[in-house]
Amino acid sequence: MVDFGESTRSDGACVVSVVGEMDLAVVAEFLERALACLDRADALALDLDLEGVSFIDSSGLGALVRVRKEAADRGKALTLVNVSASTHRLLEITGLQDAFDIVDQEPGADRGK
Amino acid sequence: MVGICLLGLLLTALATWAVARADKNTEQRLLQTQTRQAAAVLSTAIITIQQPMAAALDVQRAVGPPRAAKAFTRVFSGSVGADRPFLSASLWHRDGDSFTRVASLGAASSLDPRGSHIQDFLDHASTSGTPFVVRQLTVGDQSRIAYAKSDSVTGFVVYAERAIPADRRAPVDRDSAYVDLDYAIYIGSAAGTDTADMTTTDVDPASLPLTGTTAQATVPFGDTVLTLATRPRTHLGSNLSQRLPWFLLLGGLLLTLALALVARQLTRSRQRAESDTETITTLYQRVDTLYGEQRALSVRLQRALLPQVNPGIPGMEVSSEYVAGAQGIDIGGDWYSAIAVGEETFAFVVGDVSGNGIDAVAEMARARFTLRAYLFDGDGPATALEKCSRQFDIATDGHIITALVGVGSWRTGEITVANAGHPLPLLVSGPETSFVPMPVGLPLGAGPTGYDSATFSMPLGATLIAYTDGLIERRAETIDTGMSRLLETVPCLAARPLDAFVGELLTSMRDESSTDDIAVLALRRVSR
Repeated sequence: MVDFGESTRSDGACVVSVVGEMDLAVVAEFLERALACLDRADALALDLDLEGVSFIDSSGLGALVRVRKEAADRGKALTLVNVSASTHRLLEITGLQDAFDIVDQEPGADRGK
Repeated sequence: MVGICLLGLLLTALATWAVARADKNTEQRLLQTQTRQAAAVLSTAIITIQQPMAAALDVQRAVGPPRAAKAFTRVFSGSVGADRPFLSASLWHRDGDSFTRVASLGAASSLDPRGSHIQDFLDHASTSGTPFVVRQLTVGDQSRIAYAKSDSVTGFVVYAERAIPADRRAPVDRDSAYVDLDYAIYIGSAAGTDTADMTTTDVDPASLPLTGTTAQATVPFGDTVLTLATRPRTHLGSNLSQRLPWFLLLGGLLLTLALALVARQLTRSRQRAESDTETITTLYQRVDTLYGEQRALSVRLQRALLPQVNPGIPGMEVSSEYVAGAQGIDIGGDWYSAIAVGEETFAFVVGDVSGNGIDAVAEMARARFTLRAYLFDGDGPATALEKCSRQFDIATDGHIITALVGVGSWRTGEITVANAGHPLPLLVSGPETSFVPMPVGLPLGAGPTGYDSATFSMPLGATLIAYTDGLIERRAETIDTGMSRLLETVPCLAARPLDAFVGELLTSMRDESSTDDIAVLALRRVSR
């Protein structure tokens, strides 16, 4: 199962956080929430908080790529924040490391995922 | 349901019987009470017979023999005649052993005044100790009752006869005590309902004795006993008491019927529920069947899109395998491909379309044949991927595609690769097994982009293993753990013939519960 959270940062960026496994079963809801944030006129940027993500499959990666493209189309910045080491490694292996602005999780904060 | 009906009928029968029995007991008690009342009335009637006779005897004590006849006539004539107690009466006086008639009133007596019967009867009245005696007489078709009352002091005896109507019906039933009763009155020397002793009744004498619910009472009458036998003419108790058994019977039957109907309703509901359950089960089975059919169809489609025959590349053994995920109909979009391009050039691709299902398979087919066309046209791997990157878009396709593309010469073993977000291939060369280092570009679908290529050499006997992420990825662990496992597993199997190698590699690496599909392509350079 997966949980989503939404908040707004003080600088106006919309933050969508994901907790759980990002796979085919949840990408539709994830995309809906993320794209809704991008469509908000007051949200100048979108942060995807991946701290709670324990697993991402190819559909999950596809969803991240989709959000990246939609953000670029709208001229809004997309940042992946609190990216765990394992998620970072996955992005590296799939060639996506350089495609995203990534803010890694603090070293030691990775809870062994 | 039959049980409920039987139980209902049994309870109804029991209740009805009990109440009917109680009613019968009540009836019997009421009948006895009423019969005692009727007997009391009868006792009163007896007094109206005895009283005039006693009065006549008392008068004789006062007047003396010379005026006996006159006094008797004056005192008794009011009691003799039609509509009076007696039909006939006479006064007798004992003279020695016989009786002499002193006076007579009314009709002739049935007993001959000069005969011996009357003498015996009068004697009986004088000597039996009971001063009042009673006899029932039959005169032709008429019945009469004869009475004699004696006075031992004066020696006078009064004799009287009373008629019994031919139909044996007595006016006694005019009294309210008899309103609800059928009755028969018997006169006998002892209590009893001997037909010969019957005097009056309100029913057809031929139907006697009374049957059914009956009661009896006795009244001493001179030297005889009157027996009053009764039977209720109607129900003596309350109407409710009489009808209650029938109400109970009807109510019980209705209740039983209602219960039976409810039970039938419940039974039907249960049957309906069972049949519903069956329907649902059948539906599930059909869904399962359809599901299985769809999955089989998807796998067939997937396999149909994968190359079936060895591409016939000289100096290169090729083996491949595709395994669908463990569950569900949603097969993935993994594929592999190996083709001979020119005289000594060959190309290969292993790719993976994100997501799964038929549309992922369709996307796979598009990617596979697009790449194949560029490669067949002589494009290098980086160029082929770059051209493809302009044709695939996650926003419209809904998928990203990772692909490892290689173009090589079987003659030299030089192989050039480009990578769109795909797991690195593994090269087994002699004792060494390692991931082939190469730049990794964006997956297809992320937007137009360029790719860098890398070149490496495959010595004779070396094996190159390309695969999709299903081979190394497990949910509970990091991707590096899976890559390490692959790195440890491959050397143990590297000496096997290529087909066996691929088969055993899949067996060792595959997580049986994984839903992800796996494609593996292995190339082994052999001498020509």
